[in-house]
Amino acid sequence: MLAGVDLRVKAGEFVLVAGASGSGKSTLCRLCNGLIPHFYNGVLEGTVRVAGLDTRDHPVHELFAQAALVFQNSEAQLFNSTVERELVFGLESLALPRQEIQARVGWAAEVCGIAHLLDRAPHTLSGGEQQRVAIAAMLALRPPLLVLDEPFANLDPEATARVRAVLRAIHRAGTTIVLTEHRLHEGIEEATRLVVLDQGRLALDGEPRRVLREDLTRYHLNVPAVVRFARTWHLPEVPLTVDEALALLEQESTTRILTDYSDSPTRNPCIRVENPRGVPLQLRSVWFAFENAGRPWALRDVSLAVQAGEQVALVGHNGSGKTTLLKHFNGLLKPGRGSVLVLGQDTRTAKVADLARQVGFVFQNPGDQIFKLTVREEIEVSARALGRFDATWLESLYESFALHPLLERSPYRLSEGEKKRVAFAAALAARPTILVLDEPTTGQDAAFREALIKLLDELGARGMTVVLATHDLEFAEQVAPRWIALANGAVVADGPPDAVMADTEAMARAALRPTADFRLRHSSRLAARLPDHA
Amino acid sequence: MTADLTTLGAECGLALLAVIGAGLLRAWWRMVRLLVPMFVFLVLFTVLALDMATAVGGVVRLLAISTAFFLFFQTTAPEDLGNALVASGVPYAFTFILTSAMQFVPVIARRAREILDAQRARGIRLERDAASLRNYPALLAPLLIQSFTLADQLAEAMEARGFGSPRRTFAREYRWRTWDYAAVIVGVAAAVGFWLLQRLIANSR
Repeated sequence: MLAGVDLRVKAGEFVLVAGASGSGKSTLCRLCNGLIPHFYNGVLEGTVRVAGLDTRDHPVHELFAQAALVFQNSEAQLFNSTVERELVFGLESLALPRQEIQARVGWAAEVCGIAHLLDRAPHTLSGGEQQRVAIAAMLALRPPLLVLDEPFANLDPEATARVRAVLRAIHRAGTTIVLTEHRLHEGIEEATRLVVLDQGRLALDGEPRRVLREDLTRYHLNVPAVVRFARTWHLPEVPLTVDEALALLEQESTTRILTDYSDSPTRNPCIRVENPRGVPLQLRSVWFAFENAGRPWALRDVSLAVQAGEQVALVGHNGSGKTTLLKHFNGLLKPGRGSVLVLGQDTRTAKVADLARQVGFVFQNPGDQIFKLTVREEIEVSARALGRFDATWLESLYESFALHPLLERSPYRLSEGEKKRVAFAAALAARPTILVLDEPTTGQDAAFREALIKLLDELGARGMTVVLATHDLEFAEQVAPRWIALANGAVVADGPPDAVMADTEAMARAALRPTADFRLRHSSRLAARLPDHA
Repeated sequence: MTADLTTLGAECGLALLAVIGAGLLRAWWRMVRLLVPMFVFLVLFTVLALDMATAVGGVVRLLAISTAFFLFFQTTAPEDLGNALVASGVPYAFTFILTSAMQFVPVIARRAREILDAQRARGIRLERDAASLRNYPALLAPLLIQSFTLADQLAEAMEARGFGSPRRTFAREYRWRTWDYAAVIVGVAAAVGFWLLQRLIANSR
């Protein structure tokens, strides 16, 4: 997993460890607190020292407070009945006296902004709250080193921003931080050092601005929009924020004639195919409430129509109703009031199994559906269940998803990216006319994102109607010419991405921030530099 | 075993009084509603096999037992139970199994619902009927795999917070207080009282 990595992290550093899926980020994290070698079988050569302690000679319970590790999956790392007990657990392991425990719990809860949640049960919290609880539980141990393994993987932009603010505060207070991430724009501003892992090897290591000058696409990393911007404009330095980028641009003395930047970004033209059956998706003032939830309405008066061949992104924070809305498109949920028409069929009277022939659904977690022994069976089972088995079509699917080498393998043993490909192929196996995707980029690296963008492009060209839900606006900007913004179950904006992002009120209500790309293109300061294009 | 209806009714009534005293009547009613199919099944079975009196007795007994358990788990946090057991000498690793298992019931239930949705969305029939029975591997296989993964992740998370530490303190103190003694005395007195009541009724017949 890791090969010949030499890394010395000094006190007070904020190290961002970037790398694609399978580059060894998680392995590195687990080396820090001794989970490797004490918890995993494998071959460990060389030495790992944490605060001077050789991890080989010290068990995890002697290391956990030296290098505190926060995991990616917030659900699985909380195991107590209340948030307070969650914070108390590690302190009890340190055998601290009672008063000290109380004092530290109060302090850590304050720093992480969870003091109001102490009596709640962890599983009732949102993902962002859970992640802050997990960080607080570690912070309470007062570790000299805090290690976080992709802590933002399941968080929306708002929750990510809050967790980042907590991490900045912890770092300022003197804690050394190591953070792994495959999206460089999350954490690059606060990092004092950037390390790039590639297939288990340490590829790059240094001051972030210096490392960002290198070609990072080689390591399947997403280059932040501001860095791409700096390259387009040949700026003398690498900026880390939009403001920095614009300030650098203003300092430039030479006037350059450039093609209008606003027209250049990667935008797919929407290929519309006339569908004889008309509007594939039509919602008329849909209201929906879960039976036993505290909140009265999960969807409020949602009306929308999706044309054949359109690619639409539902954007909004976690809990805004995106998934609830998607589940109305194949009848998994039925509207409480109003109506949903799928290819003219009212979902209230249609069976899910019948709608599934027309609507392919890719869920966020491919592990929710895998149950067969080979990849081939896993994909074919959907087609057979729906009575639409077509060998030629399946063959073409295997081809376009590069699944031929995997067909006879067990789907359980695939990487997460490969599982996702299987789930996509399974969703398309019955030749649906509408494809619905729930958070397709969660936890996926740049390589997967690029492949997905290409695939959606091809499907668009074939006239497939696609609706996807995401809080990843950088991705939505690249694949969907139309955005529908949701906030508290209601549609707050509907239109082209630029129009939605320009609607500051709607964006605030949806708890979303415009992409760096958008802010750069629409900056008034940029316009001032381009008088000819004004 | 108590078979007398009066005694059973009194036991049930006392437990119910405690439920009302704890302000849990509404939650208790929800639990009882969930038990209704079991009651029906029990009555049907016992009436066919034995007689009506035994059937009613069975239902009241079931109600009394479930009310007692309901009270216990509603008023005692699993960690308190676990920690108190540790304080009285039960190994920590053992009590932890008891306390942590309960935390993950809602997590597993949510995952089960998600898997159900994912499979139904691709046309695999998973309703509450006989025809769906052969499709249940589609629900159970992913659920099992996810439970194993969850267990692994949980184990890691626990180790990362010093679960293996040989020396632990407890943030809360578990000591016998006047209330605890009073509760034990009331409990024993009630048990003896019910036993005497039953004897009395049996002798008077």
